[in-house]
Order: sequence, then structure tokens, then C-alpha cells
Amino acid sequence: MIVCVAVVGHQNNPLYLQSFTGSDDALKLHHIVHCSLDVIDERVNNPKRSASTLNETFLGLLYPTENYKVYGYLTNTKVKFIMVTTDLDVKDADVRSFFRKFHAAYVDAVCNPFHVPGKKITSNSFSERVGTIVRSFGPSMTL
Amino acid sequence: MEDYPEELRTPPVSLVCLTGCPELHHPISAFLHSEQPPINTLALPDFSKASVLARKKNRDPLSQPTPAPPSGILKRDWLLKHRTRVPAVVAALFRADQISGDPAQWLQACTDLENLKSLIHGRSTRLVVVLVQTQAAEELSEDVMTALRKRAEIDSKHLVEFVQNDASDLRQSLNKLASLFAELCLTYYKEEGRRIRSIIEKKSSPFPELNIRYCFKIAIYAEFRRDWSEALKFYEEAYRVLREMANTSTRLPPIQRLVEIKTIAEQIHFKISTLLLHGGKIMEAVARFLKHIKTYKRLVGLPEVDFLHWEWFSRQFLVFAELLETTAASAPSSQSPRFGTSESPFSEWEFQPAYYYQLAANYLREKRCCLEQSSVSKTDLPTKITEAPDSVMPSIHIGQSARLVEEGDIVTVLPLSDAEYVAYALAEAERFQDCYEIIALYKRAQESFSSHGSQRMACLCTLGMAREYYASDDFTNSKQLFDTVAAMYRREGWAPLLWEVLGYLRDCGKRLGLTNEYTAYSLEMAALPVFSTGFEETIDFGPAGPATLSREEIQREVLNFAVETDGDPEPVGLDVDLVSPLRSVLLVAVAFHEQSVKPDSVASLTVSLLSHLPLLFKVDLLEVEFNQPACNFSMSIPLEVSPNKWLRLTHEVKSGQSGKLECLTVKAKINNNLIICCRAESPALMEDLTSWKYENQRETYPTLDPALSLSGQKSIQVDEPNPLVDLTLNSIGPALVGEVFQIPVLVVSTGHVIHGGELKINLVDARGGGMLMSPRETDESDAHHVELLSISGLPEEKEDDLNTDLSEETKSDNIRKIQYSFGVVSVPVLKEGESWCCNLEIRWHRPKSVMVYVSLGYNPGDVDQRVNVHRSLQIEGKVPFFTNHRFMMPFRREPLLISNIRSLISPLEEKKVSLALKENNIVIVSAKNCTDVPLNLVSMKIVPEGGTDSNEKLFLVQEISGISNKCTRFVPGEEFRGVFSITPLVAKSSLSLGVVCVEWTRDSKNQDQPETVTTKHSLPQVCVEEPPLVAAIECPPFAIVGDPFSLYIKVKNNTNLLQEIKYSLGDSQNFIFCGAHVHTASILPGKEHVLSYKFVPFSAGVQQLPRITITSVRYSAQLTPSIAAGTIFVYPAEPKFSLEKNGSELVV
Repeated sequence: MIVCVAVVGHQNNPLYLQSFTGSDDALKLHHIVHCSLDVIDERVNNPKRSASTLNETFLGLLYPTENYKVYGYLTNTKVKFIMVTTDLDVKDADVRSFFRKFHAAYVDAVCNPFHVPGKKITSNSFSERVGTIVRSFGPSMTL
Repeated sequence: MEDYPEELRTPPVSLVCLTGCPELHHPISAFLHSEQPPINTLALPDFSKASVLARKKNRDPLSQPTPAPPSGILKRDWLLKHRTRVPAVVAALFRADQISGDPAQWLQACTDLENLKSLIHGRSTRLVVVLVQTQAAEELSEDVMTALRKRAEIDSKHLVEFVQNDASDLRQSLNKLASLFAELCLTYYKEEGRRIRSIIEKKSSPFPELNIRYCFKIAIYAEFRRDWSEALKFYEEAYRVLREMANTSTRLPPIQRLVEIKTIAEQIHFKISTLLLHGGKIMEAVARFLKHIKTYKRLVGLPEVDFLHWEWFSRQFLVFAELLETTAASAPSSQSPRFGTSESPFSEWEFQPAYYYQLAANYLREKRCCLEQSSVSKTDLPTKITEAPDSVMPSIHIGQSARLVEEGDIVTVLPLSDAEYVAYALAEAERFQDCYEIIALYKRAQESFSSHGSQRMACLCTLGMAREYYASDDFTNSKQLFDTVAAMYRREGWAPLLWEVLGYLRDCGKRLGLTNEYTAYSLEMAALPVFSTGFEETIDFGPAGPATLSREEIQREVLNFAVETDGDPEPVGLDVDLVSPLRSVLLVAVAFHEQSVKPDSVASLTVSLLSHLPLLFKVDLLEVEFNQPACNFSMSIPLEVSPNKWLRLTHEVKSGQSGKLECLTVKAKINNNLIICCRAESPALMEDLTSWKYENQRETYPTLDPALSLSGQKSIQVDEPNPLVDLTLNSIGPALVGEVFQIPVLVVSTGHVIHGGELKINLVDARGGGMLMSPRETDESDAHHVELLSISGLPEEKEDDLNTDLSEETKSDNIRKIQYSFGVVSVPVLKEGESWCCNLEIRWHRPKSVMVYVSLGYNPGDVDQRVNVHRSLQIEGKVPFFTNHRFMMPFRREPLLISNIRSLISPLEEKKVSLALKENNIVIVSAKNCTDVPLNLVSMKIVPEGGTDSNEKLFLVQEISGISNKCTRFVPGEEFRGVFSITPLVAKSSLSLGVVCVEWTRDSKNQDQPETVTTKHSLPQVCVEEPPLVAAIECPPFAIVGDPFSLYIKVKNNTNLLQEIKYSLGDSQNFIFCGAHVHTASILPGKEHVLSYKFVPFSAGVQQLPRITITSVRYSAQLTPSIAAGTIFVYPAEPKFSLEKNGSELVV
């Protein structure tokens, strides 16, 4: 189950952070998302990356906490998506597919003429759509 | 890791026992220890000490047909025993003389050997007999050797001779001994391993404990042999069986059973990790560790001792972190290009010790929490259980504890009940202060993370440390650490995280009694963009409390803070500068509506206040301070500041002082207990609030006019007072080059009394533009093109008065500095209505357009500030005359000039005008007035260069025609010609003819004697040469039709040579003539040859004479008279000239 998704802006500032646990983990998830930015920084700035991975938006597993796995995604506009899941056995393909859908939703949200680029995303329809994507996430997706 | 016994931490080393010949023990031990692999020695000085090798128990549990269930898995001292007391090889050292000599000694040796044999009986320990010989010659007989071997029941190769008479022998013997020992050790440990393995294979044991024990032993024996892969295999096996056993065993009470299992699992896992890491298999080690963690994480056990589990769990992370750190096996960055994908399921941090340190700290915190709960619940329990037994000690099995009961002299070891154990464990755990341990772990993690550039993770560790300090009531350290964390979250705008940290900080401030800090943190919290998501109630925000409810509460509390503490009259003062996080509490933008203002007139400004506090609040007093204190003002009407909305106040200020008027600070006094002193900010330069800049809010402007929000400044320029002085610059048209051009400057006071007036004059090239060009910057030669000569027309008598009447000071005060293009002159005190004038005298050396800037600076008297008046005037500098010159020969006289012929042949050479020596050469100088004003020409003359007083007269100048009157007036455009005859006296290839000086004056109407100006025109360098031949044509000035006239061509030879000439005369239809058409003639040196012709003209008018050509044969040069020279006017009849006015007849 996905417990948290986040959109992080250029200044590593949170633009959207939604947790789906409803429990007291919310602050912990904030910390997890914040700390995983370190790994994103490291991966993105690592000059050793081979050419084949240069245009790769999916950043892979950022770091596993014992209870969660954190995945990252970097858009072309250097906006970061972070997803925290409790499924410890997740296929890469599922995560990629999730991020693709999420990216599409994000693009639609920022295309809204009333959205100011760089500001937090407060759109309700975006939240609903993200909720749908999150609920549909799971191994069944690839079946 | 340091808590583990040494034998567990280090790989096992084979053990060899030496006995007899104690003097040799040290060299042998040292040598064996330095071998690769090393061998430890157990040195027994004599055979009597060999009893330490004896077995403690005679009974071997393995040999029992029906073994009893084991009371533990591993014995605590088993490993140590094999490393220190159970040798693989026992070496008996005998001196050769002991054996061969005295029979009594031989008997003793036999006895010792027997003893040794009996001690190692039943073990596979090998016996080696070493015969020590001091000299090689001291060889023992074969019989003795055999006897000894038989006694010892050993192979021949196990009987070694040890020769030590010299160094090389000693070394050889030591090597021999070491290789034998190594070989025997290997055999011994292999056999031991095989022996135990056979037991497992028989599956004779129904108890998993024994299986674990056997696997562990096999692995240890394999380690003795350095067979790492086998060791790893059996450790894995032991680990697996242990895991299976966890759910099945009922041997011990459940709590203690679990403790034992975990302790064993920890040790086995430690061994596995060590082996993997030292083998460089870091990926496998990490994977193995993660599995270990996953397996045991759920195995918490009973809730009353869950702290034991978390302590154990934390230790797993700590030990693994330390292992990772000490093995220094680098993370496999080169092998796997990308972490976190299917290629490599690990992420970067899993190879960093810091990650495990941090988790160790986390679990130690968990342990502490559980311990606190257990301690609390313990007090609720009946006291009989809580009583911890007095003497609890570790039992002989690893991971077990036992109770020591003394009854008189008898000491018995009794097992513990779980309740007793729990009480004991609680009592033990409470003795330690975990928080320092936790802080140390976080500190290690934080340092490691920040050295890897993982700032946020380091920040999280710092937060952990800060929380621990907070929990242990160390608020000073805690606050310091929280502050660094808060800075990080502030920078990146993570409001919920910041909220939590600020909550702690606020509480620290409160507990430390720091009112200002407490207020500042509270206000910052209240102004944070934290909004409800519905779950806040359940989130543990620490002392901050749930965000959405508390923001308002905090604001209320802080704003009413001091009212409650009535005894404290001092209001809390907070400074908000440009980088303060409190800008979101109160942001002040000050914008003047104009960019500049006249002095003493009103400038309006808008003071805008913005607060992100959740509730409306009232500002009782607003004080606005400027850099000119006279302008400060305050507003005491209560102002209501609404959340997230600009409060705009417009006010007017009046400044009497010119210069910059800047708003510095705005102080807001709230509720009489809080003074927020904000630095005023210009809306144009205002930075966004870091915490609110990403919030999706409607954009509002600090001023009503949005344009002012983008351009408004907190400062305004107050102009100088208007000058009440007239400054006039006049000019009479363009200036002429050479003359002293005067520009009158008039200063008239029309209202101000001028004190300390100073007139600055600046000449700037108009083309270069701008006053900014300082005179020093201009090119030196360029600066001389136009020159400020002086300032004339100063009222002399006034200056004289000053000089005579006033002191020296005032004289020196009277500034007067003139430079090429810059001048300063002081202006005397002028009362209202008075005037002062001067003339600027400027001379142009070249035609140039110049801007004359004149500025008058003065003090208007009563006010101490300067007023400046600027005027400028563009003045063209023009050349008065366009001067030209032309060289000619006298009419109908043609000297042959060789250089002219040469220049015809090679035209590329520089052409220089050639003049004939001692001939009258004519120079016509023309001067054209190219100005717009009439000029008077005074004189025109040719002045030789270097003056006329030169000793050697090189040429004579004669003015043929020139200025007749004293002054000739020229209107613009008129041209004047002066004709001069120049007779060179010396032949010279380069002769300077000097300059033409034209003296002129402006034709001014006023009667003043105008200044005469000389304009010079330099004549070119000429070449003077003697003409070899000079041809002169003599011809009457006119002819009459039908009337014959004579024409003579006189050719003079000036050389000392005979000159031959050819001459020819063309035909003409207007004339008939007599004389030779073509002829030659020879002219003697210095003589003149005359060719005479007679012409009769036919037709009237201007007629061209037949073309005359004279050719010098010697020079191959033609002398052709010009067309003008060959022209004559023919009258139809005899002309009659009558000049009645003069009364005389002109006869030509």
C-alpha cells in the first residue's frame, strides 16, 4: 500500500504531500520524504552515471526504511516525485507505471491556468485523482 | 562490538603446548607467533605443570548412550578453552644430554612422557618430542632415538632434533618445527571437525541445541584451519537450526529461552558478517544482515521484557555498523552503476555505517520507551515479583543467567524463574542512562552523513540528538541543536517539520527562562503556514501540539503574555531584520510615492504591514524612524492588522534637509507588552517570505498602486532648495581659432544672499559629450586644442579692497585656479539684487566644438547647505581664414628645372615644389574669410622660420602686391590675395620658406581697440636648384591685325657646358611668320641665344601664337611655354587708350 506521495519543487520545498495512513505516522513520513531528497541529490549529481541512464526519470528505490520503501522520480523540469510504500516486495514496473500516471496527473494540475508555477498544489481534483491512482496501485496493475 | 569477548571478535589461532626446556620457550613462541598463519603457544616451564591440560570432566557427553537434554546451547568458555587451554599439539622438549647421559635422567624423561601421554589420552592431540642439541656434533645414537620414539609412541617424523648452536641452525630448526606444528594443527582441527560432523550425520541427537553446538564447533574448527567457506556454511546451518528452534524449544522459561536464542543468534550472525565482510562480499553481508533483522524483528517476546528485545535489536545495528566501518570494504559503486533498481536492489545508504548507527539509535530509543513503560507497570505489580534476586550471574551457558545461593560455605547455582529474571533485567537496565548512548550513536551517524553530503539525513540525526537532550532535560544543548535543525527546515520550507522543531525550541526557551526567545519562537510558530489536514490530532508533534488548533492559541498566549505577568514592566522587544524568520509575523514595507521631493514640501509615503498570524491583532503604537530624526513620526491610533492582508497607511513627511531621506525602522507596540522593531523594506527589493512563498495564495500588493509595489523605495531624494540666483552665459557667435574669445558670465542675486560662492568652469569636448569627462581624463594634446586662459573682468577694485583691508585669510579664501579646461573662481558675497560678472577667456587652437559648463555653488546664507546652479553653452571654434598658396614663374619665363623632369619620370616620389635659383619665383597667397562675421585684415607677410635675424639670408622676399590700406575689411566669403616674389639665394634640396602670417581683427563696432590676431599658414618645404637653361619669351603685349611684330625667344645657358638645343615652331592659321620652323642651336657657357621671329597676325581677338618647343639635347627635356604665355590679343586696329580722369594717356 502506498502510504505517502509527495511533489517536491526546485528549492527542495514541498509542493504537495499527501499521506494515506491517517495515523500518527504523518510526521514521520514528512521526515522520510525530506531525507530521501538527499539520495535524489546524490543520484542526480553523481557524475558517474552512464549515458543510458541520463534521460531516465525514474530514480528507483531511494532508501528502504524497515517499514517502508521510498521511490523517486525526477521530471524534466526537475520537480521530484517521491512515493513511500509499505509493500516491501514491489516490482519496478509497477512503480514506474505508478509514477507515469502520477506525472500525467501532475502535468494536468499545473496546466491549470489558475495555478501559479512553483506554488503548492492545492487542487482538489488533483488530490482525488492522486487518491485513485494510489488506490489502484498494487501487483494487480501489471496483470 | 567491544562488548564481545576477544575470542569471538578475532579469528581463532591454533594452539601448541610447549613443555620442558623453558629457556627455549620464548624464541620458539615468538617465532611461531610471527608465522603466517600464526600459532599461539601454551608454554609450560616443566612437566609438572602439564596437569593444566587435564580434562575437567571425565565424562564425555557425546559418548553417553542416552544423552540427557543439554542445559544450554553453547558453553561460555568453550571457545576460550580451545584458544588457551586445549592445544592441538603437545611438544615435549628434552635436552640431548638428558636422554643420553644419566640413566636416572632417562627414567625421568620416560616418566614425564608417560604423564603427558596419559593427559592427552582420549583426545586427538598430537605429541611431538623435540630433542634439543646444543651442538651439532652431539648426535644421539640411533638406538636412543628409537627407544625414545617407542616410549612416546610416535612416528619418526614426530621426533624432531632441534639444533641451536648457531643462528642459521637455529633458524632452520625453528622452521622445521613450525612447519611440523602447522601440519599437525591442521590435522588435529580437521579430525576434530570430522569427528563432530560424523555425529551430526548420524543424526543421533534429538536436541536441536546440540545440533547448533556441533555446527558451531565445526565452524570454529574450520576457522582454525582458515577454511572460511566451510566455516560460513556451518555458521549458516547453526543459524538456521537456531531459528527453527525458537518456536519449538521448551527447555527454559519462555523469556530466558528467547534471550538465549537471541544471544546465540547474535554471535553466530556476527561471525557470519565478519567472514563475509572480510571476504569482501559486502553485498551479501548487507543482504544477510537485512534478513537477520527481518527474521528477528517480530520476535519481541513478552511485553514486560520488550525493552530487552529492542536493546538487542539496536545492538545488531550498532555491531553491523561498526563492522562496516572497521572492515572498510568499499561500497560496490563500481560494480553496480545504479542503486535502487532491479539491477541493484540496495540503495546507497545501506552500505554506509551511518545508516545503521542511526537505526541503532532509533531502536535504543524504542528500548528506552519500553523500559519506561515496564518500569511504570512494575510499580503497579505486587512487590514480591518485583524484588530482584541478589546475586545473579551469567551461567556457564551463553545467554543464560543463574542465581548464586550461599548457604554457609556451600555455594549453589540455581536457575532463575522468568519473574525473577524480569526483575533482574529491569534493575540492570535502569542502572544505565541510555540517552547518552543514543546521543553518541546519533552523533556518529550525523558526522558520517554530513561527511557524505547527506545534509537532510544528518539533520534528522541532529534532531534525534536534540530530542534526547530535551528528554534528559539538557535544554541548553537541546536548543542549540534544534536551532540548526530549524534553520534547515526554514530554508526549504518544510512547515510541518519546522512546526515540530519550533515546538521544542519554544519549550526550551520557556524552561530556560528566555522570554525573548520564547516569544520569538511562539510567534514564528503562530505565523507558520500549517493547515489542517484532519489528522493533526493524532500526530505526535512533541511539545508543539497539534498545529491547526495551536496556532491561534499560541498567538493569544504570547500576545497576552506580559499582561498576565503584571509585575514585569519591561515589554519584550523583538528585532526583525531582513533575514529574520519573524518577517512572516510582521513585515513592513515602506514606499515613497515619489522619487524626489523639494525641500520643505510634503512627500507622501505608504507604510504597509503584513502579518501571517492567524488572528487579528491590534497595534497600539506605530513608530516610524528615518535617517533624519526630524521626520520621525508615530501613530497612536489602534491599528488592526488582519491575517494575510496588507494594512496600508499613508502618511506625509516634510524634510527641510536636502539629501537622502530613508525610512529605517518601524516599531510596532502590541498590547503594551511586545515591541516588534522591523527593518523597513522597499517593496521593489522585498524578498519573499521563505515559509509563505510557496503557498498558493492570492498575490497582494503592499501598496494600492501595483506599479508602486514593483518600484517603490523606502528612501527618497530631497532636492536642494531652488536657487534664487541668475547665472547667465553669453557668447557672440562662434569663436575663431587663435583669438582670445571672451564669454561674459553674469551672476545676479534675485533672492538669496550668496555666501562662499564658487564658480566652476569646465570645458568639455562637445563631441565626447557629457560633463562627466574630467579634464584630467582628456588627452593631454587634446586638452590643448581649447584652452581656458584666464578669467578677466573681475571687479579689480573690489579685489584690491580685499587685499588691502582684509586679512590674509580672506585673500587665500579667494580661490582662483585655472587649468587648461577647468577653472574655479570665488564669487564675493552678494546681497539680494547685487550682481557680479566676469569674462571667461578661452582660446581655440584648433577648430572644435566645445561645451562650456559653468556652475555656481553657494550657501544661501541662513541654511547650512549648498545650492548649485548650472549653465552650459556650446561654442563652435572656427577657422577664420581658409588660406592657400600657389607658386608661379614670372610671365613668359621658363627655367629648365631638372627635378621637375625627374618627377615626371618617377611620379611616385614625393613631389616637392622646385624653385629656380636666383630667379624671381612668384608665390600667391590667398586667404578667404570663411566665418560669418566681417574681419579686418591688418597685414599679410611671409616670415622666415626661426625669425628674420638669421645670419645667412637664404632667400629674398618681396611683396609685390598686398594690403593697401591699414585695414582691409572682408565680408564673409571674400578672398584676398597677396603676391610675393621669392628669390632663393642658395641652392638647397630642402628649403623652408617660413610661414605666412595673416594679422586680422574682428570688425567690431565698438570703439575699443580690438586685439590683433595672427593666423599662420606655413609654406611648404621647397627644393631650390639652379636651372641649366632659362627660356624667356619676349613679345609685345598686344598686336594689331596686319601689323608685324617681333618675337624673341632668349635661351640662356647658365652652365659651364656647351648646350645644344633644338627648337621648333608650329604653324598657325592666324599668323604668318618668318624664321626657322625647326632648327638646332648651340649655346656657349654663360651665353644667351636669341631666336627671333617676325609675326603678322591675320585675325583679331585673343589668339594663340604658334606652339614653341625648345628641347635641350643634353637633358632630353622640353621647355614648353604655358598656354597663357603663348597667347596674345590682336586688335583689329590701333587702340586708343584715354584715361581722362588722370589726365594722362597710357601708352603701352
